[in-house]
Amino acid sequence: MAASSPVLELRGISKSYGPVRALQGVSCEIRSGEVVGLIGDNGAGKSTLVSVLSGAAQHDRGEILVDGVEKVFRSALDARAAGIETVFQALALAPTLDIVGNVYLGRELRRKGGSGRYLWWLDKAAMRREAASGFERLGLRLPALTTKVAALSGGQRQAVAIARAVIWGSRVVILDEPTAALGVKQTEIVLEFIERLKRQGVAVIFVSHNMQHILRVADRILVLRLGRKVFDGLRANLSGPQLVGLMTGAFADGIPETIEPAPAGGKDVRNAV
Amino acid sequence: MTRALLEWAQRNGLFFALVILFVFFWLSSERFMTTANIAVILQQVSVVGLIAVPGAMLVLSGYVDLSVGSITVLGAVTFGKAMEAQLGLGVSIVLGLMAGTAWGVLNGYLIAILNFSPIIVTLGGLAGARGLAQLVTHGFTQFGFGPTFAILGNGELLAIPVPVWIYAAVFLAGAHVWYQTPVGPHMAAIGGARDAARALGIKTRTLPFWLYVASGLASSVGGLIVSSELDGSSVSTGVGMELDVLTGILLGGVAFTGGRGSLFGVLFGTIFIGALTNGLVQINVSPYFQQVAVGIALVLAAGLDVLYQRLDRIRFSDEADDPADPVPAVSQQPEAVK
Repeated sequence: MAASSPVLELRGISKSYGPVRALQGVSCEIRSGEVVGLIGDNGAGKSTLVSVLSGAAQHDRGEILVDGVEKVFRSALDARAAGIETVFQALALAPTLDIVGNVYLGRELRRKGGSGRYLWWLDKAAMRREAASGFERLGLRLPALTTKVAALSGGQRQAVAIARAVIWGSRVVILDEPTAALGVKQTEIVLEFIERLKRQGVAVIFVSHNMQHILRVADRILVLRLGRKVFDGLRANLSGPQLVGLMTGAFADGIPETIEPAPAGGKDVRNAV
Repeated sequence: MTRALLEWAQRNGLFFALVILFVFFWLSSERFMTTANIAVILQQVSVVGLIAVPGAMLVLSGYVDLSVGSITVLGAVTFGKAMEAQLGLGVSIVLGLMAGTAWGVLNGYLIAILNFSPIIVTLGGLAGARGLAQLVTHGFTQFGFGPTFAILGNGELLAIPVPVWIYAAVFLAGAHVWYQTPVGPHMAAIGGARDAARALGIKTRTLPFWLYVASGLASSVGGLIVSSELDGSSVSTGVGMELDVLTGILLGGVAFTGGRGSLFGVLFGTIFIGALTNGLVQINVSPYFQQVAVGIALVLAAGLDVLYQRLDRIRFSDEADDPADPVPAVSQQPEAVK
């Protein structure tokens, strides 16, 4: 993956909810095939940033550039049209629709010609066909695609939500806490999946509270604290305790060279968050 | 095996209940299973049925419209007053339709855009729209609309009553929207998982707004048909119609909580109510009992809804426990994305 121009660039994104300044001038660049871990304590602005990038909320100031072109996301469909897909923490699946219906929800394929344009006639056969080939390409094995999502297990639902995000050949995939509700085995599958996306040249923004997961898959780590970006750098020399220090503001004056290992029996990093 | 049977019963049970009902009345009354009486049943259900088409879409989307009966009377008396004022048939029809549609716009704006409670707003409409009709007419009935207008409610085309043709057209258009356009899954998504639908950019406000407008329009069409049938527009038009509409929808298997249902089920549910009422008359059951029967049918429909949800849960938990590879497998060779 050549270190070319960034696929996604944020310039001075600010967003306030009334008196609460959720984001204050956050800038960053993300390239193809790069996995960026986005971390921060509760209230740091992670969710707001995800909302802005997914089109669910609009920023007050700043610019979002996709492939160097400024984009304005008025709705989630705008963000999706620009190639930014989000896997929401709550998965955003409609349980009473089948797998195909969920994959195409909000951008259903219509028939070619007049029946599609004027009668909005769905091309169900094409949707089934393309969803099937997309799942095959992604290496995801699922029950029959006409199965209702309500009938799927948690791991299968996660697979549908992720597949929906990547099946379109999107440029950027945002995963908001994708492992929070999963067991060990499913978590492993999601992490492997992120690594696969990276190899396929997709830019991934991975939001998580779990430092081990972040350290395992992220190339670069972006730390938000109280709405500001307080760290943006390669994962390489970072450890879990250092990340926690960045998140909590313990290292407001810069990261110390070395960090004392936690005393034996100390809290797990995850629990410390 | 049992599971498949239950699923099949859930999908087709109402149809067979309808068949049993027809057979029962056929055996009980000589006049029930005649072409003329079937035409009467269809004519009787056509107004309720055409209002139930947008009504079912609202319930599927997690909303409800209890004001349909009162919008019907509002459309009818607006038409009647316009005729009385010598505005001409065409203008009067348009005004009647506009009155009902305007009430639908009001419902849609308050509920879908401003997030008012659907039940409270349309319950207000149930009282308010009829009250407005009474205010306008002082309770008097307008009548004598002429032979041309009478065709709408009493005419026949190819031996089938005109209202049935109108119902058929509305139902087919509704079935197209429900089953063949993106609106169908969008309604189910809004009704079954509104936050998810919103996160995906589905128009969770605009779509229900237009459904309320359509419900208002359909109700005023119903009001005009009733006015034509009676050759008069009275403030007692469409009393209790919201119950018939809702009973047809719920009996048809549309979940009151939204997200699930079939428009063909609503068709069978509506005809079931019509055939039940008609058949009870044929076998000389007291007309007072007919209202009781509709009420019983509604409660049964609510019970069936709970039963269906239980069945869903049993079925889903069965499948979720399926040990065969419940998690997605990641293939070994990654292929390049295009």
